[in-house]
Amino acid sequence: MTSLLDDKEITRELWQSHLPVCFILSDEDKNKINRSESPEPLYLMLARHSYFPCFIEKIHRYYCNYFKNDPNDTTNNMNPANLWFEYESIPLKWHYPIGVLYDLYVSSLSSISTHVPWQIIVHLSKFPEGEIIRFPDKESIEAHFMSTLKEADALKHRGQIIEDMQKRDHQQLWNSLLQDRYDGFWKINNKLMTYTDNLQYFRYIPFRIHILDKPFIHKLFSPFNVEEEKWTTLNDLLQFTLNHEAHCEQITNEKKILNTNINDYRVIIHGIQPSLQSPVQWLSEHLSYPDNFLHICLIEKRT
Amino acid sequence: MSTNEGNENDAFSIDASNSATNNDEVNTGSARSGPSNDSEGGSKVVFLLKAAGGAPILKKKKWALPRSKTIGHIVEFLKKYMKLDAQQQQQLFLYVNQAFAPALDTTIGSVNDCFSSEGTLVLHYALTQAWG
Repeated sequence: MTSLLDDKEITRELWQSHLPVCFILSDEDKNKINRSESPEPLYLMLARHSYFPCFIEKIHRYYCNYFKNDPNDTTNNMNPANLWFEYESIPLKWHYPIGVLYDLYVSSLSSISTHVPWQIIVHLSKFPEGEIIRFPDKESIEAHFMSTLKEADALKHRGQIIEDMQKRDHQQLWNSLLQDRYDGFWKINNKLMTYTDNLQYFRYIPFRIHILDKPFIHKLFSPFNVEEEKWTTLNDLLQFTLNHEAHCEQITNEKKILNTNINDYRVIIHGIQPSLQSPVQWLSEHLSYPDNFLHICLIEKRT
Repeated sequence: MSTNEGNENDAFSIDASNSATNNDEVNTGSARSGPSNDSEGGSKVVFLLKAAGGAPILKKKKWALPRSKTIGHIVEFLKKYMKLDAQQQQQLFLYVNQAFAPALDTTIGSVNDCFSSEGTLVLHYALTQAWG
């Protein structure tokens, strides 16, 4: 595939795209503060490709100020492991990139027209066990990120490239993400964007389709149709995946079968609605998140 | 077939793989051509669990689960099944391709669609991080 040199700039633009987020303490937790002033909302600009656990310390420290003078507080409210975020009654998963959570939930659920700053409720108690996993330490989110990268490489290159990398290359990927260093990240990430097996494309495209209230969907899909000798498009990928998933649901007698009509969805990647005719190989190289997955949000249009 | 020993009466329902006994050729087709098995056996994912990194070896190797069950479900089940809680062993890791550990909310159906090899999905379990 011929890729214009300028296209690389798209990856830089995506790297730089941020979301303004407004964190508001839940009413329930506010009531537990017995200082006169209640916490002001906390505003942060967060990179779309980043993860909430990277900012937990900061958020935790902010609210700590309001609790630490209370000698009677034995509820251990300020244990960071009890902290969780909610948007429109949905507990937010910590291991999805922030931009994916925003695209999926705000586009699906927001009842108002202005979506930014993204208003998130911070909870310090009543952790929704069973619904989400507790906020881990930074090491766990790093382990999750590396594991996802390895999964992506298993699809793209049978895992050959990531296995051949040095440990310090792996660390450079994660550290560049944490420290917001685009060049440091792409110096290593370019290796993950090469081709193996004498192909001019990835073996399979690492992608996840996110739909509200469903586990993400993930299938094997090649960016090149060898029989017809043509590049496959985003439309092909979506149609194949939706049909495959709906078929699986029929076999397992699910009550509600997935809607397979692409026209009934808004298709969002990185907050953008890309052309459905875009070749998926190009999308995978330019619009993937740092974990090397193409996170595609399908938002069912309201009728 | 020696796969049905140890019937589960557990609240956690990783089923003894009855479906596998009447149909051993789960997922023979390629994923590109659509869901591979329309017969009865196709409604569940059959997979092998193998110990890694010195984890206790399970007598039962072959398991079956509905597609919608998650990796987290299997991890919790195995912890109970192997009575790890009693041993204060907190962690258990599940690996695909002996390379990566899928997120706990990944469904077994989607792991199977992408990473079963020649019709068989193999998961390795370890009590410490074995890969990565």
